[in-house]
Amino acid sequence: MDHFPTNWGRPRNDAFDAYGTYPLAQRPYNGPKDTFEAGVQRTQQPIVTGTSVLALKYKDGIMMAADNLASYGSLARFKDIQRLHPVGNNTVIGAGGDMSDFQYIQSLLDSLMIEEFTAQDGHSLGPAELHEYLAQVMYGRRSKINPLWNSLIVGGFKDGKRFLSYVDLLGTTYSASTLATGYGAYIAQPLLRKAVEGYEDVLTEEQAEKIMTECLKVLFYRDARSLNKYQIATITTKGVNLSESRSLDTTWSFAEGIRGYGAQTQ
Amino acid sequence: MSIMEYNGGSVIAMVGKDCVAIASDLRLGNQALGVSSNFQKIFPVTDRIYLGLPGLATDVTTLRELFRYRVNMYTVKEERDIEPETFAHLVSSTLYERRFGPFFIEPVIAGMSKTPAGGLKPFIAATDLIGCLNFAKDFVVAGTASSKLFGVAEGLWEPDLEPEDLFETISQTMLNAVDRDAYSGWGVMVHVITKDKVISRTLKGRMD
Amino acid sequence: MPDMVSLSRAASGQPSQFKTPYSENGGTILAVAGSRFCVVAGDTRRTDGYSQTRYAPKVFRLTDKAVLAVNGFSADGNMFVNKVRQQLEWYRHGHARDMPLHEIARLMQTMLYARRFFPYYVSNILSGIEEDGSGAVYTFDSVGSYERDTCRVAGAAQSFMQPYLDNQDDWYTRPSVHYKNQRSTHSSSRPTQLPLSSVLSLVMDSFVNASERHVEVGDGLEIYVVLAKGSSLQGLEKLTGAQEVTATSDGERVFTVRRSLRRD
Repeated sequence: MDHFPTNWGRPRNDAFDAYGTYPLAQRPYNGPKDTFEAGVQRTQQPIVTGTSVLALKYKDGIMMAADNLASYGSLARFKDIQRLHPVGNNTVIGAGGDMSDFQYIQSLLDSLMIEEFTAQDGHSLGPAELHEYLAQVMYGRRSKINPLWNSLIVGGFKDGKRFLSYVDLLGTTYSASTLATGYGAYIAQPLLRKAVEGYEDVLTEEQAEKIMTECLKVLFYRDARSLNKYQIATITTKGVNLSESRSLDTTWSFAEGIRGYGAQTQ
Repeated sequence: MSIMEYNGGSVIAMVGKDCVAIASDLRLGNQALGVSSNFQKIFPVTDRIYLGLPGLATDVTTLRELFRYRVNMYTVKEERDIEPETFAHLVSSTLYERRFGPFFIEPVIAGMSKTPAGGLKPFIAATDLIGCLNFAKDFVVAGTASSKLFGVAEGLWEPDLEPEDLFETISQTMLNAVDRDAYSGWGVMVHVITKDKVISRTLKGRMD
Repeated sequence: MPDMVSLSRAASGQPSQFKTPYSENGGTILAVAGSRFCVVAGDTRRTDGYSQTRYAPKVFRLTDKAVLAVNGFSADGNMFVNKVRQQLEWYRHGHARDMPLHEIARLMQTMLYARRFFPYYVSNILSGIEEDGSGAVYTFDSVGSYERDTCRVAGAAQSFMQPYLDNQDDWYTRPSVHYKNQRSTHSSSRPTQLPLSSVLSLVMDSFVNASERHVEVGDGLEIYVVLAKGSSLQGLEKLTGAQEVTATSDGERVFTVRRSLRRD
């Protein structure tokens, strides 16, 4: 029931405000509604989202990192979500963007790998093939104006070669020795480039991991949709290694001294 | 369609060795329709300051008269000619007066300014339509062909050009830039200002 | 409150609706035809707003006599190159030879126009050697209009580079005129067609100039040179970093040259 009397009936002449309701000239429409007034909306918007994924090349292969948060708008909704997904023995896919779309992609890839396995033809899909497949899927969906709302990073190591490439909801692809999606592209990418460009063949796993955690820490401080719980994946000659969830050590004592940041004393 | 492209037109100024040059096209258009091939956009302010006013044609006339008035008032009060630097600030503040309802003009200023030692040194400047000054050491561009002028000037300009070489450089820059701009062209006017004289030439350009 | 209801409807414009299936990835491409060679170049920066990556090629060797440069929305560009390559492969299977350049040009028009109502958001420049041995450049808009040309720039810095090249380059379509707008002063002493070495340095200079003034141009420069059957290397052998990428021994030869551009 609408308890606002001015909304009950419309004056006979719409141009004349008979009840003198100005400035409340705009009233809600209380008549029947057509759910599909804007047509059938196939295009969605991201709902439950993951933020940055980071990736870099180092001496032994590829290292990727992502936190464990899936947000619902500004709500930190799911705090134990895996955003790094191993596919086969040589590849890891990392995803930012809509998590349900990502889980759909995971199921696509898993059934694809099963299909390839049952062929038993001595071939298996490596990172390059999976990236091409994903690029085609993503481009195909954007061409139907019904995209899978993700930025994906494909990292892998196969036949002695490192592979690191990106694909997003528009089907755009590129590769580089460091990659970052979401806020990471603005905040972590410059740090990664400074630490990695030119040192791809000398960085050890320890050094790479230090760079990664440093970047994740900066992201956690500055990206409001991030979490201090994360996983790191490496893909090397030894195959895929996905770490357990870890925590970042962060300091907040400095906030006390900053006006507008911590508790106010005056 | 932007009001800055309503009448078309472009201006460029360059620094040389003990000289400056300023050039404009001569087209006046009504959007894509060419109306006049002798529309001056560069005006003398003093014996050694020239002012280029590319933009909306009605404002070209208005601003020319406004600056004539203000420079005359300055000359009468100060009993001397205005210096290019001072004039640039006069242009800037005049445009900023209309911050929220601007003149649609991007002025270009070229002149020779007095040094403390009594000599003359080249000076160029340009502003946007609300008077943000740009004192460049090499060249300034404005108008509908500005990005093309940037491209050619970046390739052709070099430091310390003698007056005749500067004339050739600014002429080539202007001609080739306006040939790729539908809203500029129909002839070019060039002024080279040196210590003791001003060389003004009209160039024949493509008429399409 | 009534007005709050209407406000909330207006303000609830969803945070990130999928508005367009396109994006614009910056960069610039260019091609110049000589009498017996052609040069195709593109920078390797790929931008997305203010984000950027350093190496995303947009110049591709199609055959030993054809090179295709694509600029605009990179996903469409890559897809289009793939589709053209597929057609060329089928042609080679069917005809036991590479498709001639002018035929590739017409094929591209057909392919682009086929998507008239959902276009590939790409400016294409096709360049290579014609059957008569001459260097040629074909430029396309995104829906397939095309023309043969001698010198063409497309992309973010088009307006910076095209008039500069008009000035410096030979004007092929009217062989009596050399060096645009420099007729009266120099015409008698200029060559009818610029030599390869001058074209290469012109191309490099143009990109350096463009990267100076445009944020979307930079990082790297990738140049392809195609030489007609039987023509000499014309100084290519002395050029640092020149690499041959010829695939067949049909006669035409393809080379790549890479240079770095400013990275800021």
